[in-house]
Amino acid sequence: MRWPAPSTVRWAMLVVLLALWEFVPTTGVIPELFLPALSKTLYVLWVDKHIYFAALLVTLYEVALSMLIACGLGILVGAVVGGLAVLRNLLLPIFSSLYAVPIVILYPIFTAWFGIGSQSKIAFAGIYGFFPVMLSTAAGIRTIDPQFVLAARSMGATLPQLITRVIIPASVPTVFAGLRLGGALTIIGVVVAEMLTASAGIGYLVTLNRTILDSPRVFAGILAILVLSIAYYMLARALESRMVVWQSAGKQTRAASRDAQVAVAAPAAA
Amino acid sequence: MQHVANLSDVRGRVGEAAIEVDRVSHVYAGPEGGVPALQDISMSVGVGRFVVIVGPSGCGKTSLLMMMAGLRHQTEGRILCYGRPIPNPDPERVGVIFQEASLFPWLSTLDNIEFPLSLRGTPREERRRRSQAMLSLVGLDGFGARYPHELSGGMKQRVSIARGLVQDPPVLLMDEPFAALDEQTRMTMGHELLRIWSTTKKTVVFITHSLTEAVYLADEVLVMSARPGRIIDHIQVTLPRPRTYEMMATDVFGRLRDRIWQQIRKAD
Repeated sequence: MRWPAPSTVRWAMLVVLLALWEFVPTTGVIPELFLPALSKTLYVLWVDKHIYFAALLVTLYEVALSMLIACGLGILVGAVVGGLAVLRNLLLPIFSSLYAVPIVILYPIFTAWFGIGSQSKIAFAGIYGFFPVMLSTAAGIRTIDPQFVLAARSMGATLPQLITRVIIPASVPTVFAGLRLGGALTIIGVVVAEMLTASAGIGYLVTLNRTILDSPRVFAGILAILVLSIAYYMLARALESRMVVWQSAGKQTRAASRDAQVAVAAPAAA
Repeated sequence: MQHVANLSDVRGRVGEAAIEVDRVSHVYAGPEGGVPALQDISMSVGVGRFVVIVGPSGCGKTSLLMMMAGLRHQTEGRILCYGRPIPNPDPERVGVIFQEASLFPWLSTLDNIEFPLSLRGTPREERRRRSQAMLSLVGLDGFGARYPHELSGGMKQRVSIARGLVQDPPVLLMDEPFAALDEQTRMTMGHELLRIWSTTKKTVVFITHSLTEAVYLADEVLVMSARPGRIIDHIQVTLPRPRTYEMMATDVFGRLRDRIWQQIRKAD
């Protein structure tokens, strides 16, 4: 018997999940307070579409600006720290350990400094996403194959040429991995910040509706964030695979062979 | 082959020295003082010669080659390339081909070969023409759009050679270029290299660990001692050219290889 392709199974799982979401609550096994049906959630989303759309715009605006901070600052600082041995030895251990700190603990300070408006969300999420971008940029630059640099020098490359033609393209794959993670963290940062202290945004709507026990509207907010994150992830992947043809090609063959191994192992386990 | 002949402007005449190494010594700065790496090396590579350097691992062969390329500086002595020192890499005089193919994975084959030309701002038309000519010289017509990860090890090393030749330097320095290849590919590549060498009339300095490869390729073999590296033997390979695989079975070939082996064993 042939096993269906993994992507088919994934789509089937999604359909089953959505079907369960729709039909389990209607049977009355789970009270609506815990899990309102999918149709009900979509219905309130439709009824309140102006409210949710406005909130989504606020969230998107905050995410966009904090991503700009995280990526811009992360790449800049990462390049300098990764490129200069002195700074690397001095700062990298500090940054690495700061990355492990739950930065959300600092959010009350951010609201004290920047108020409860968008600024505090942008600053907080920007710093939240900054660390992975900065660390992977530093790693990307530090781990470039020295043969590339040597070869380019032997061909007469000047220092600016070395940086633009060799070091930057060679570090793109590692930097991109950091950007994807950093971007995802800024979304988390913005939503968490909105849920804690805010007056607008999807996170704020979720907290507001939870306090008045309006479950369908809570789930509508969750759904909106879910769609936003998945859209972001797919966009990042598409961008990455376009930019890094040479890297993703290698990854795909590895992933394919891994899938093949899983497929071989699965019937044996069954 | 017309375009190739036009590209080859061999500076210097046969009998003159392309590279002269004059009493070169090198000491590395180690954690516990200086480590002597090279000791009083003098050698001369005649124009159009194929010179192979062999020696035990860590004897400083690669360092010496990097100094000839202007990529590293010796602590003592001087190196002249066509009568002038080479303090910095000069692709007009010297092309380098490395151990690992060191092709840029983000560039297509053709863009990789063009890379040295694009660094100097050569017009796009000319770049395409010259890299295309090099691609056919190394026998890879039709592979220009492929990326390095789509090529075999042997093909990558061919591209690497094409990249080293594209600026048409009179001297080619090769640092164990076939070390990562399997035995059969390695033999084929050695043969290919001799064909390319005889078409382009380059001066070649070639480093290898393989004694068979050394005898098969070389006009002259220089044997180096273990660290600090010195030249302990200088062997003329008198086998006629073009070399054939059959020559490997001859007594002359065997005796030459044996002599190098004896020297290296002593040196180790």
